[in-house]
Amino acid sequence: MKASAEGTLRMVATFIAAFGVGVAVYITIADSGGGSPVCLAGGRGCETVADSTYSHLLGVNIAVFGILGYALLLAAALLRGDTARMAGFCLSLVGFGYSVYLTYLELFKIEAVCQWCVASAVLMTLLFGLNAVRMVRFVGKPA
Amino acid sequence: MSGEGERQERRRRLLQLASAAVFLAIVGVAVLIVVNQSQTSGGDSKLEDVGLVRSQLDGIPQNGMVLGDPKAKVRLVEFGDLQCSVCKAFSEEIVPAVIDSKVRSGEAKIEFRNYTIISEESIPAGAAAIAAGEQGGGWSFIELFYRNQGAEASGYVTDDFLTAIARGAGVPDIAKWNKARRSKLTLGLVRRTTEEAKRLGFTGTPSFAVEGPRTSGLETLGTPGSAGEIEDAIDAAS
Repeated sequence: MKASAEGTLRMVATFIAAFGVGVAVYITIADSGGGSPVCLAGGRGCETVADSTYSHLLGVNIAVFGILGYALLLAAALLRGDTARMAGFCLSLVGFGYSVYLTYLELFKIEAVCQWCVASAVLMTLLFGLNAVRMVRFVGKPA
Repeated sequence: MSGEGERQERRRRLLQLASAAVFLAIVGVAVLIVVNQSQTSGGDSKLEDVGLVRSQLDGIPQNGMVLGDPKAKVRLVEFGDLQCSVCKAFSEEIVPAVIDSKVRSGEAKIEFRNYTIISEESIPAGAAAIAAGEQGGGWSFIELFYRNQGAEASGYVTDDFLTAIARGAGVPDIAKWNKARRSKLTLGLVRRTTEEAKRLGFTGTPSFAVEGPRTSGLETLGTPGSAGEIEDAIDAAS
């Protein structure tokens, strides 16, 4: 029963991580060539955030790090065992922490909110929750 | 130790590791936010003389890099470098008198043109001023920059600094300003006016030139020693 419960967690995490890869890829493509993601609900929030100095880290769009992070989380969700459980937990923890930081920047520094960033933050929060549950309930137990 | 005992021990250790990771993550995010706060403390709230600049320029039209009535017959051109400390002194001690006596009255308009001589950082600073000018805040940007100027070529001209100046200068669309200041067109304009200053024979900043009905094109003034000298040149040109 517990194995199947973990299987369900992994399956949901797989879908969310795949969706996260999609969101991060869209932001990266939209930002390339000087553009910016389009806020579906209108407004200039996405453009403002994309044009801010915080949108790049070491000269690289942070969405590229997002693609990498979601891809690793996808792999952690697909794999079994304690290594995958720990990796999923630690990666999602870093992603969640960075999402908190980015949300702080949007609200208090950039003073603009980008829907795509919010979407990514929600996905990362869900992944952290799922990986935390997977970690607490199943780590140290047979895969 | 039995297999079950070993598993329990391993589980206990892994959960301890996870707890430590959570603790580290909380500390990491807190450090990031605190560091960010301290790095951007030169933001709007720390800018000096925002109110002073607003009151100094209040009611005077700003178009691009030109301050004053666009129809004014005399054009005073200042070739300056935003990092230049002498330009800052001029901005605080001489230019305000000229603005009050000649620009506010509509007799003359002043145009700022970049003459970047201090360091490479002067180029993005000058481009940022031009981009602010596109949104009606060119002179507010220049005056506020001078009043918050740091040591020459000390690295203070960061994106955060420029953004704080733009916000303080009342630039309404920061995203548009960001795009404009990084555009090839704007950066090219900074280089072109620098070349123009050299062609005019200027060797330092600030250097002034005047153009009016009684001048034959742009006539160089060099670096006047007082507001009175500039005012006399404006009178002679009108």
